[in-house]
Amino acid sequence: MHLPDGIVPVSMALAGYGASAALAGLALARIRALPDPQGQVPRAAMLTAVFFAASLVAVPVPPASVHLLLAGLMGVLLGWFAVPAILVGLFLQAVLFGHGGITTLGLNAVILGLPALMAHAVWRLAGRRWPDLAGFVAGAGAVLAVLALFVAIVLAGLPVALDPGAERMALGALVLAHLPLALAEGMIVLAVLRLLRRMEPRLLPHG
Amino acid sequence: MAERAEALNPRARLVAALLLAFGIAAVQGGAVLPLVAALAGGVVLALGQGRRVVRGLRAPALLAMALLLVLPFAAGGTVLAQIGPLVLRQEGLQAAVLMATRLLSIVALTLALLAPLSPAQLVAGLRGLGLPGLITDLALLTARYLEETRAELARAQLARRLRGGRPGWRAVPDQAALLACALIRAQTRAERLWAAMRLRGHGAAPMAPAAALTTRDRVAMTGAAGAALALVLLDRMP
Repeated sequence: MHLPDGIVPVSMALAGYGASAALAGLALARIRALPDPQGQVPRAAMLTAVFFAASLVAVPVPPASVHLLLAGLMGVLLGWFAVPAILVGLFLQAVLFGHGGITTLGLNAVILGLPALMAHAVWRLAGRRWPDLAGFVAGAGAVLAVLALFVAIVLAGLPVALDPGAERMALGALVLAHLPLALAEGMIVLAVLRLLRRMEPRLLPHG
Repeated sequence: MAERAEALNPRARLVAALLLAFGIAAVQGGAVLPLVAALAGGVVLALGQGRRVVRGLRAPALLAMALLLVLPFAAGGTVLAQIGPLVLRQEGLQAAVLMATRLLSIVALTLALLAPLSPAQLVAGLRGLGLPGLITDLALLTARYLEETRAELARAQLARRLRGGRPGWRAVPDQAALLACALIRAQTRAERLWAAMRLRGHGAAPMAPAAALTTRDRVAMTGAAGAALALVLLDRMP
């Protein structure tokens, strides 16, 4: 679910660049404080390639297109690396495949980056004690958070006010259309984390 | 054609794409839209990227179509026509045309200017713009392995279907297993890659400076800035 070019006003797109720069600055500062940050770049890059390859199948749904988001799983597995990884993935998708947008890169990075960090926080807090619950909440919660941010930005950015009835209907349809996605992502994240705990616990922040 | 596409420095392409994209995104009125479309079409043709752009515009064109079908009936107050229960409204129609033109023009320009670049060229361009090394290294490695990973996932999906994989919701555990396997392979590949990078002395030598901009690059960037500014000024003229 990416915000495409040309939908929101330019002031909002520029504000998105500012917000994502601040978020990336914060993430890079946290990453540089890690032991051997450069050594973690190949792992982050490989996982980013998997996440974006898995989410490239796009179905256009106005006013955007729907993908398997995987923001929650990125947050859990990549931690602060999720923010630069999302920026890189969104840039490559916009440039190489025409998905998302180059002017909306900052807004999309915030829309996906904040929920990814929330998912990371959920896993850090509860992943050791209740791994299944934490995995499901991280996956499904990230989709719902992405949806909330996306809807808020689209409604604030439309150049013309929607008819209240149509707006309610569109919002209802969008939420209904994405509830199955939230449920599916919650289940997928839960199952992936279960498999990783069994087969490759080194991939988890605290396996 | 390819020579024309490769003649510009990646950094100049990135700057030109961003300037033009933001210039088009700043357009708010309908009067300038024919100019916007002409500018995008002109750049695409001048760079010889027509075929690539037409291929890349399929999904955005569907989205633009959806905007044109929905917004005129869902937004605005001035009634233009009534077709049964549907009311066609002027403001919604104007907004849909504005957004659809901006969307298609920006995507066309982005694809024409940036899609012909290889991952290494793209990352060299980002590095030239002063992005942190950690982000450009991440971008280079991700871009390098994105196609390979996509192909692996596609093969795994095909194999699942050929084995009679379950459809619908019952496929969720299978999808999770495919994703988990891809992540484990990625982890193994990353360990090998990092070992190879260290053996080659990664990070020991300073990064090579970005390639200098030529006169052609400067002309392209100035032209893009001028075109973007002209669009904004024409759009704001009373």
